[in-house]
Amino acid sequence: MLQILIQGMLLSGLYALIAVGFTLIFSVGRTLNLAYGAYLMLGGYLYFWASQSLGIPKSLAVLMAIAFGIVLGILKFRLIVKPLKGDHIAVEISTLILAVVLQAGVILIFGDSSKILLPIVGGVIYVAGAPVTYNMLIATLASWTILLSLYFFIRRTDIGRAMQAVSMDTKGAAICGIEPDRVNLITWALSGGLGALGGVFFASYTQLAPSMWVGPLIISVAVVIVGGIGSIIGTLVVAHIVGFMEVIVVSVFAPELRGVFTMGLIILVLVLRPQGLFGREEL
Amino acid sequence: MGLRWFHFAAWGLFALGLALLPELVSKGTLRTLIFANYLAIFAISWDLLSGRTGYISFGHPFLIGIGAYTSAILTKRFGVEVEIAIPIAVIVTMIAGLIVLLPALRIRGSYFALVTLAFMELMYQLVQVIRPDLTGGTRGMSGIQTLTRGAVNGFYLSSVLMFVIAVAAWLLLRTRIGTALTALGLNESAVEGSGLSTTKLKMFAFMASAFVAGLGGAFYVHYLGSIAPRALFDINFVFTIIVAVLIGGASTIIGPIIGAFFLTFLLEYLRPFLPGAERYFIYGGIALLLYMYQPKGIYAMLMKAWHSLHERAAK
Repeated sequence: MLQILIQGMLLSGLYALIAVGFTLIFSVGRTLNLAYGAYLMLGGYLYFWASQSLGIPKSLAVLMAIAFGIVLGILKFRLIVKPLKGDHIAVEISTLILAVVLQAGVILIFGDSSKILLPIVGGVIYVAGAPVTYNMLIATLASWTILLSLYFFIRRTDIGRAMQAVSMDTKGAAICGIEPDRVNLITWALSGGLGALGGVFFASYTQLAPSMWVGPLIISVAVVIVGGIGSIIGTLVVAHIVGFMEVIVVSVFAPELRGVFTMGLIILVLVLRPQGLFGREEL
Repeated sequence: MGLRWFHFAAWGLFALGLALLPELVSKGTLRTLIFANYLAIFAISWDLLSGRTGYISFGHPFLIGIGAYTSAILTKRFGVEVEIAIPIAVIVTMIAGLIVLLPALRIRGSYFALVTLAFMELMYQLVQVIRPDLTGGTRGMSGIQTLTRGAVNGFYLSSVLMFVIAVAAWLLLRTRIGTALTALGLNESAVEGSGLSTTKLKMFAFMASAFVAGLGGAFYVHYLGSIAPRALFDINFVFTIIVAVLIGGASTIIGPIIGAFFLTFLLEYLRPFLPGAERYFIYGGIALLLYMYQPKGIYAMLMKAWHSLHERAAK
C-alpha cells in the first residue's frame, strides 16, 4: 500500500514534468505539438551523448540538453508553425511528420537498439521497504519546483501575463501592444526546454529508444485533455491521477495493462466532457 | 455526375497499365507494387474519412487492424473459410467504425484526432492482453492462410481490389453525397443550416471508410500470412498512410493512389543508396517540405500542368 503511494507520487511527478511543456503550447498556441515527444527523445539522447560518450559532467549535460530543447522549439516555431499561419490541422500533421523524421534521424546516429542511461543522481534509499532511487526523487522534486515557479512566472511576470493574454484572445492582446509572435516564440522555447529536461528524467526512468517519444506524448495528451486546456493546476492533479492509476494497475492487475486506463480516460473525457475536468482556465 | 469520355479513358489506361505491369517488371518490383496497392487502399480509406470531412484520423490502423485480426482469428483459430471470414471481418470493422463515429458527433478538429490516436494505442495494448490465446499476444500470429501464391497472382489480386475500390470511391465522391461531404469539411454548421443531417453524412463517411479499411486489412493479412500488433498499431504506419494521401493530394481518391505508388517507389529506389532508417529520414523530409509548400499534393500539381497545357493548346 505504502509502496503504491510512494511509487505513484514519484511517477506522477515525472508525468507532470513531461506534460507541462505540452500544456503551455496547447494553451497559448492552440496547437497540438505532436513532435513534443521528440523533444523528450532528443533531450534524452543529447544528454546520453554528452555525458556518456563525451564524458561531460552530468549537470552540464543536463543544461546542454535543455539548451538544445530551447533551440529546437524556436526552430520549429520559426520554420513550421509560423509559415502555416495558425492552420491547426496542418501544424499537427506536419509535427507528426517531423516527429517521425526525427526518430529516423536518431536511428541514423545512435542505432536502433535501446540504450540504458546511467542515473543522473546515483543512490537508493529505502522508504518502508520500497526502493526509491535518488534519481526519481530528484525528478519529482524538480517537477514540483518547475511547476510552482512556472505558475508564478505566468501569474506574476509581464511575459507570463502576456502569455495569458495571448491564450485568451490573440487579437485583443495584439491591440494592447503585445506581439503575439514574440510570446509564441517564448512559449515554444520554454516548452522545448521543459520537454528536453523531462526527456532526460524520463529516459533515466525507462531507457533510451528511438520510439520512446510515443509513450510520453500520449501521457501528455491525456493529462492536458483530462485536466482541461492550459490549466497548470489541472495538469498537476491529472498527472497524479494518471500516475497513480498506472502504478495501481501495474501492481494490482497486470503490467501489460498499464496504458489501458490512460487511453480509456482520454476517450471517456473527450466524449463526455470535452472541456476537461477542470474547464478552461487561463493558463 | 459529370462523367466525360476522358474519365473512362484515364481509368481504362490505368487498368491496362496495371494488367501489363507483370510482363514488364521483375518479381521483386512486383512485390513492392503489391505493398503499394495495399497502401493505396488504406490511403483511400483514410481519404474517405478525413480528406473531405476534416475529421482527421490519427488512428486509422485501429480499423485496419480490426479487419485484419478478425479475419486472421476466424480462419486460423476457428477454421472458418476465407470466403466467409473476410465479409465477417468487414462487418466487424464497420461496427468498430461506429465506435469511432461516437466521439465525432461531439468533438472535432484536434480533439477528434487525439481520440483516434488513443483508440489505436488502446487497441495495441488490449490485443496483447485480452485472450492472447486467440490474438497471439505480443508476438502476433503467423501461418495464416494465404489467398494466392507467387508475386504475379498476389499482384493481380491486390490490383483488382485496389482498382475496384478506387473506382467505387471516385464515383461515390462525384455524387451529391460527395459534394455534401466536402461541404462538411468546409463549414459544418452551414451544412446543418441547409437542412442536411450532419450525423447521417458523418455516419456515411465513417462507414464507407471502415468498409474499405476492413476489406483492405483482411486481404492484406491473407496476403502476408502473419500479423503482429507492433507492425500494425504503429504510429509509423499512420504516418505512412497520411503522408501517402497528403503527397498525392487529399480528397481526390486518385491522389492517394499516386502518393502510395510514389512513396513505395521512393523507398524502393533509395534502398541501394541508403539501406536502413535513413530512407525514412529522407522521405519524411521530402513529405514535410512538399506538405509545407504544396499542401494540395502531386495531383494538384499535375492538374495545374494539364490545365496550362490545355490553355496553351487552345491559343
